[in-house]
Amino acid sequence: MPDAIPAAQPLERIQCQWCQGMNEKTALTCRACGAPLDIRNLVSESGWREAPRLRDMTEFSFSSSTCQVEGEIVPVAEIHLGANDSVFFEHHIMLWKDDNVPLTVLQLSGGLKRAFAGMPFIISVATGPGRIAFSRDATGELVVLPLHPGMELDVREHAFVLASHQIDYSFVRVKGLTNILFGGQGMFMDRFVTTNSPGMVLLHGYGNVFERRLKAGESIMVEPGAFLYKDSSVGMNVEFQQLSSGFFGGTNMSLARMTGPGRIGIQSMYVHHHTE
Amino acid sequence: MFCTNCGSPVPDTANFCTACGSAVRHAPAPAPIEPAAPIQRSQPVQPPPRAPEPAVTSTLAPATCPWCGAEISGAQLSCPRCGATVKAPVLRSESGWGELPGRKDMAKLQFGNSFCQIEGLYVPVADVNLAASDSIYFTHHVLLWKDPQLTIGAMSLASGWKRMFAGLPLIMLQAQGPGHIAFSRDAPGEMIALPLQPGEEVDVREHLFMLATGNVSYDWFSTNIWYTTQSGDDKETHYPVGMFMDRFSAPEAPGLLLLHAAGNVFVRDLAPGQTILVKPTALIFKDPSVQMQLHFEHPRSGLSLGFGFGSSNWSNRYYWLRLWGPGRIAVQSVFDRMEGESRYLSNCSPATEQHW
Repeated sequence: MPDAIPAAQPLERIQCQWCQGMNEKTALTCRACGAPLDIRNLVSESGWREAPRLRDMTEFSFSSSTCQVEGEIVPVAEIHLGANDSVFFEHHIMLWKDDNVPLTVLQLSGGLKRAFAGMPFIISVATGPGRIAFSRDATGELVVLPLHPGMELDVREHAFVLASHQIDYSFVRVKGLTNILFGGQGMFMDRFVTTNSPGMVLLHGYGNVFERRLKAGESIMVEPGAFLYKDSSVGMNVEFQQLSSGFFGGTNMSLARMTGPGRIGIQSMYVHHHTE
Repeated sequence: MFCTNCGSPVPDTANFCTACGSAVRHAPAPAPIEPAAPIQRSQPVQPPPRAPEPAVTSTLAPATCPWCGAEISGAQLSCPRCGATVKAPVLRSESGWGELPGRKDMAKLQFGNSFCQIEGLYVPVADVNLAASDSIYFTHHVLLWKDPQLTIGAMSLASGWKRMFAGLPLIMLQAQGPGHIAFSRDAPGEMIALPLQPGEEVDVREHLFMLATGNVSYDWFSTNIWYTTQSGDDKETHYPVGMFMDRFSAPEAPGLLLLHAAGNVFVRDLAPGQTILVKPTALIFKDPSVQMQLHFEHPRSGLSLGFGFGSSNWSNRYYWLRLWGPGRIAVQSVFDRMEGESRYLSNCSPATEQHW
């Protein structure tokens, strides 16, 4: 019988299984992503993991700021910005702010024009010290994704709530990646790349959010409206399924083939915001 | 298989997950469900409004599922046929409406040799592990994800499915096992599992259907609930519960029907002859024995002298669906506004009226 681990050396740290962050062993929530550490993960038999259900009023920190998550049906992300720390976001999701928190506009490279609901698409930047809070427009979950240096994340357009200033932001247009109900205009995908220091991206998924880690070469077909985020190592190809039937003479249905390696996140409800 | 703690793939023979170290639970081989005897439902609760709560059964005695009536061994926490939490008390309002029984996140139910796991609490996902011997059918817009190797195809159907949804033809698709496939809809709400025993039938309002097992057969009937509004020469006919209603039944073997309703779901049994008025767009399903008809209600106008609103056709009226028993009905708490409710009514299907 092998020797038992000496009892005098208790584990000093526990690792968050959502973001891999290390925490004090007495912590109840992860300090980097807010995930409860004392609750069993919810994983379906098919391998999807539910995004951690953030307890009401959970607080976590990033760079020199903190974020408190308030409410459970349409949760609010309330940011307490440290001095000279900043976050960027789309302006239409601001809920309230201190009047002395300055706002600037992020200069986007590239000439692509985007518009949201008739308004020009602008990424705004808020700089601390001070408080600013965000929420989106439908029932859903906040998903906290701390990013380590060298990570790249692709996110469905308008799904990101905010990102910390250490992260580079750009976007690409993806053709065909819309639900069959909304036509084939394509959509944009936001791309977040960390530079030298870690950062944090906060998303809002509609309905419930599930994540799965695909092995290299493993693939899954996802309804395009359900796609929420992926590691940029995950390939995405829109495939049309020909559905022949006697009545309609055949209809196309598009599904996105996601191929590993990497993480993929989906939302169980989709609300499509058209952008041009 | 996958680690039930962190979701990493683990070999079938492993005892521990290599990613997070937690013990791997090997699921026992599923016992096939033997078809239960047809449920004797609808002993309607003649409501003495404060009926005493049913006595709590002792923990290990065989119990009956509060939702579908299936026999459950005392050790099971949720019903294998509909996923309802067994031990939780059924919430029933004083007026006799019962809420859907609670469901644990990741609750699992079984049909044929297949399993369905219901995941998430706001917009729940039905994650189906389809066995090779089983098939399901569903409408194309509820598909969330699927295994690449699982094939789906359009169903060849009788003309009843020739419907429109959001301007597109409603296409019924069929999936044949083996493989995983998952479904969700586009509103916060509840998933309703309706296991159908041979001989059981249920009428469902259109667009609430999520999926049915291959052995559930489908029929439809004209609701004959309509009204025509007129403005100038413009006539428009409205069908507040849909022009057609779907009727599902399981002729030979037990089947499963999954519906998704928006908001919360409330169910009640109507006694023979008992009547209730519901908003037409709130109706989810009813037993075929429940009859329905339009009903107009005219609130008393403040103008009591005979001028102005002389004609009862004018818009100061409320539209209802009158339902009468015997049988079970279900409503949802989020429902669409009815079209044309405030316009001039020129004609309608048989209806009752109430002037106050």
